Amino acid sequence: MSRAPSRLRWALLAIPLLGLAELAGQYWAEHRAPAFEAWATIEVPVREMKQPGDLVVIAPGWADPPARRVLGDDLMPLRDVARPDETRYAHAIEVSILGERAPELRGWREEGRRDQGKFVIRRLANPAPEAVIYDFVDHARPGEADVRGTDPPMDCPWNASAPVIAGGLGGHPTFPKERFECPAGEYFNVGVTVIADEEFRPRRCLWSHPLLHGELVTRFHDVPLGQVIRGHGGLYWMIERERKGAPITLTVRVDGDPIGSFTHHDGEGWKGFEMPLGAHAGQRAREVELAVSTTNYKDRHFCFEADTR
Amino acid sequence: MTDKIRGRLLDALLSLGLFSGYVIALLRSVQDLGYARDEGFYFQAASSYGRWFELLFKDRKAALVPRTVDTYWNANPEHPGLVKGLFALSNLILQKKHHLFAMEGTSYRFPAMVLGGLALVLVYLWGKEARGRAAGLFAALCLALMPRFFFQAHLACFDVPIVTMWTLAAYSYWKSVRAPSLLWPVLTGIAFGLALDTKHNAWFLPFVVVAHIVAREVIHQLDARWRGVRDPGFAASRLRSLTALGAMALFGPLVFVALWPHLWHDTLARVRWYASFHLNHEYYNMEFLGKNYWSPPMPRGYAWVMTATTVPGITLLLFFVGLATRARARLSALLGAAMKDRSARIARWTANMPAPRFDPGSTDLLWLLGLVVNYAAWTSPNTPIFGGTKHWMTAYPFLALFAGCGFAAVVRELRRELLRHRRRFTWAVAAARPALPVTLLAGASMIAAPAAETFHAHPWGLSAYTPLAGGAPGAATLGLNRGFWGYTTGAIVPDLDREVPKRGSVYIHDTAGPSWDMLATDGRLRRDIRGVWSVAGADFALYHHEKHMRGQEFQAWVAYGTVRPLIIAGLDGVPVILVYKQPPPR
Repeated sequence: MSRAPSRLRWALLAIPLLGLAELAGQYWAEHRAPAFEAWATIEVPVREMKQPGDLVVIAPGWADPPARRVLGDDLMPLRDVARPDETRYAHAIEVSILGERAPELRGWREEGRRDQGKFVIRRLANPAPEAVIYDFVDHARPGEADVRGTDPPMDCPWNASAPVIAGGLGGHPTFPKERFECPAGEYFNVGVTVIADEEFRPRRCLWSHPLLHGELVTRFHDVPLGQVIRGHGGLYWMIERERKGAPITLTVRVDGDPIGSFTHHDGEGWKGFEMPLGAHAGQRAREVELAVSTTNYKDRHFCFEADTR
Repeated sequence: MTDKIRGRLLDALLSLGLFSGYVIALLRSVQDLGYARDEGFYFQAASSYGRWFELLFKDRKAALVPRTVDTYWNANPEHPGLVKGLFALSNLILQKKHHLFAMEGTSYRFPAMVLGGLALVLVYLWGKEARGRAAGLFAALCLALMPRFFFQAHLACFDVPIVTMWTLAAYSYWKSVRAPSLLWPVLTGIAFGLALDTKHNAWFLPFVVVAHIVAREVIHQLDARWRGVRDPGFAASRLRSLTALGAMALFGPLVFVALWPHLWHDTLARVRWYASFHLNHEYYNMEFLGKNYWSPPMPRGYAWVMTATTVPGITLLLFFVGLATRARARLSALLGAAMKDRSARIARWTANMPAPRFDPGSTDLLWLLGLVVNYAAWTSPNTPIFGGTKHWMTAYPFLALFAGCGFAAVVRELRRELLRHRRRFTWAVAAARPALPVTLLAGASMIAAPAAETFHAHPWGLSAYTPLAGGAPGAATLGLNRGFWGYTTGAIVPDLDREVPKRGSVYIHDTAGPSWDMLATDGRLRRDIRGVWSVAGADFALYHHEKHMRGQEFQAWVAYGTVRPLIIAGLDGVPVILVYKQPPPR
């Protein structure tokens, strides 16, 4: 009789079994995530758990589309899906599959949980929510805001039915139907759009391409002020990643008093700012100007969001 | 009938089975697959070349006027003309004349499918000649059942054709070196020319051949010094390898120019432009482990990680087993001789191993070089990675050949083990004596997973990942690319046919215009549906997911005022393509 196999030979003999194990693994891989149709089962529990103002987040992020299809714009509105960050939300509903958790909700306290087939739905509480008093993006409309250029002086009137313009493949973000339009050309408008940040996440913001000279000023009326004006600014990442453009400055004034400025350099991505309001803190019905300027306006697809809290 | 004739007959049958089985599988599954972005451009080029062929058949003299040649062949000079010429001839003869295919697009794709089938035959023959029939057959199946290879084999592109041409040239070179022949060196040169005329991956072939010649020389010298062995056949095989290299240098450029009419005039300048285009290729985007790469430095681990997560695990495991067994067989005697005075352990380990027989083709070395050289470019952080696995697919026949060796080693051990227990398992002995049942059972257990992975991946070939990555969901979580080229439009054509109103418009995102048009020419997409290049004003918008493309989806959100997709399609719960619908005016 020949010798018993060595460990190496045993390993060789086990290889057909590994082949079958991979086959089992393939079956597991095919069925581990819920099918697109299965997402319909989360609508009722999410509706039951969600309170007004709650954010809905999907983990992992790539599973967002089937959730959006099922939950629709009322449970997952654009302003939440393309939020600037999570600080303003007191609560979030996290819908999780595959045991994944949303990294942006790390540290939030679990207040409720439901297991629904392959889904785990949790209601989470933000340990330090910051209440927003006034969101400038929400109020960029006639009656509450106006837009002008300073050099040469120009008015940028509101157009409630402007032609929607989208850049297409590799092009600029969509210019929405409702926007302030400056006479300098179609790029020079102020309207609510969504840009892709450095991680290609959606960011809802006010498109404000600076003018050749001077400032593009968006002025908000009757603004109730908190302690700070806080926000973010950036460019569609495909543009700013080239790092070829001039810096862009956003200057904030309250009743004509400069309270701070924020400069964005290409490559910084979706960058935050916070300006203390000082003596203006807590005042009611003030006039706030957000003025955008640059030294070279070529390809300056600047977009910002701001609030006071 | 002698054993030799019986063997040849069997080889012919197996080759025919592999070839026809694969081509039939490709033809039967092609209707689910949309057209990749680049295919659209190749359709345009092939149509242009096709018009020239028509002229050539009618009026040869007129067709060969330099200005006429340029008129038709200057289309798409970024890639050589051979395979696009085959696309054109297939469309012209098989479709326009004989109406052989249900869809126009398939006629353009057919030559690449045929070449895909031929790649399997080549791998089978090479594996069989070098390592036995079971090894060769299993190697061919390993190649056939790589999900990405199967995907690419459907396309009217050059990536599978270059695998075939590359393998053909390497095989011809191997045959040239093994035995005296006039035919094989000439075939090596012609095959190199065909490879040059297929895709620029052919530029790596001379590196493999030169490295093979040099490494053989080094090993031969070491053998002589350490083992005192000088194989008498080496000098002749050296001469044959140099002859084959000479034939490549002579015939390669001739065939390259002869079969690409674009190069018939202004040859040097046009070759220079072609080379420069690829040597200075711009960088596109590619997601890898959650990061979007679009400029150097590119991640050095890209090719390895993508291979590990897209080639079936059992194939990779058998590759390593094959590589190890072949290295042991080839190098142990040399290693033992080199270390006999320095390491008693190694000397003991290698003492009982038989000295390898002289292999005039240095087969293992050639296969290893075929693998290494094809991957070498991706060790440079300056090599663009945007094409994913297709860029190094020319290495896969060699990977499969080693996997075939691994398979043969496993079968050998299984048979040996069954014979060892012959008293206890008489049934097993009965089974083990004839090799076929053991080989078939072992083969089935080791090819089942690749088959399941490959067929399940269709038509989402570029979204498919093996269980090692956790399948498509695991890869999405890891941040591996889910697709490119906009080919997945094909998967939602029935939805568009159903949803889009008469004369409605669709923003086609990453699908090229000619690729979209071909869906309509095929009769898959309603002819009245218009493809447009902006979401603004379109009734529907497609979004082919790629990390850097997300801005396209956001364009639809703002234009349509909704984040709710109407249609989602993808693999195993992972979204790959979304369709948004313009809401009715309020």
